[in-house]
Amino acid sequence: MRFFRVFLSGLWLCAFAAHAGMPDYQDFPASGQRLLLWVASERGRSEPELAAARQLAAQGMEVWSLDPANAYFLPQVPSSMDALPAQDLAAWLRAAQASGKQVVVFAVARAAVPVLRAAALLEAERRSRLCVVLMHPNLYTTAEPLDEPAYLDLGDLSGLRVRVLQPRRSAATPWLPGLLDHLARHGATVSDAILENLREGYWARETPTDFETAESRRMAAMLLNQLDTWGCK
Amino acid sequence: MQVKRIVMGLTLGLVWIAGAGAAGFETRAASPAPELKAHDLTGASRTLADYRGKVVLLNFWATWCPPCQREMPSLERLRTKMAGRPLEIVAISSAETPDEVNAYLSKMKLGFPVLLDTDSSNTRRWKVFALPTTFVLDAQGRVRHVLTGPAEWDEGEALAVAESMLAELPAPVKQAK
Repeated sequence: MRFFRVFLSGLWLCAFAAHAGMPDYQDFPASGQRLLLWVASERGRSEPELAAARQLAAQGMEVWSLDPANAYFLPQVPSSMDALPAQDLAAWLRAAQASGKQVVVFAVARAAVPVLRAAALLEAERRSRLCVVLMHPNLYTTAEPLDEPAYLDLGDLSGLRVRVLQPRRSAATPWLPGLLDHLARHGATVSDAILENLREGYWARETPTDFETAESRRMAAMLLNQLDTWGCK
Repeated sequence: MQVKRIVMGLTLGLVWIAGAGAAGFETRAASPAPELKAHDLTGASRTLADYRGKVVLLNFWATWCPPCQREMPSLERLRTKMAGRPLEIVAISSAETPDEVNAYLSKMKLGFPVLLDTDSSNTRRWKVFALPTTFVLDAQGRVRHVLTGPAEWDEGEALAVAESMLAELPAPVKQAK
């Protein structure tokens, strides 16, 4: 009985530690003026993502890499991302902006949801200084055959600049205009880019094509190129 | 009491195993299908009217989609199995070019019609959000079942669905000699 009580207390302490304040992230320091907050998808962080973070840091862009499912001890499923405390992520965004660097957030798949909800919690002035790149974001509440898709309420995104990167080879590509409209209706300024000949999560596929393997090695270059093309400063 | 628990446990286990093997078809109240306006690989235009009077399996797929590739052989086996019966399998490639589809078909021989939805207008009209998605239509062109995800089409639940739709059709009238 006593053991059980101690065990429960320990569990409660762990849960508290995991949910208090900012999430645990991995820092790839660099002396440049740009800071990229890399938020991995619900499936967790893969080796090519870490390699890309190292390459970006080597080129002067600091990276804070967050694996949300791992940081919060959550199962690797999309609904886990909806359960992340947006307040924690908002605190993380504020801490990044306090560094004085230009902050860009890069979020993958369903991780777009907590990132956008955190951005909505920011003060308008802070939000307007933030650039958010979403890789094939999933913002659906429901998406059933023969029915209109329904999207999550994300809060006030006015002033936020969002760029969506959508791999062409995805069932979501035909629905990209609706997703962009949804973001715009929340007040975000949106743009998009199609990534040709790639599938969603191409850097972590079980059976990647040769092109996907090559592109997963040059993810850092792709991101820098997208940021330069976009010009969000 | 102990025996009762064991029996209940075994029953639940069997139900779980049966559920795990199910393809997951969703039965819909018979409703008119959305419009289908596509071209086949020869450039001829196709609509659902071309298949009226038959049960239709309309399969939205893409050459890059691994689950779609996995189920294609079983769709072909189903076609062979159902030869001579009023069932039409129609695959419609979502948002791909004719070259992409032809490259795939040069390696994978399929005996059923493959249509193109290069501009994805059919994908959007049918509200397809995942690939593969298959609609089972009755002979009146109404949607009766929907499956999101792959199936082994020539066995189990998928075959049972196809057979149940065929069973609704009137028996063919035998010609007098």
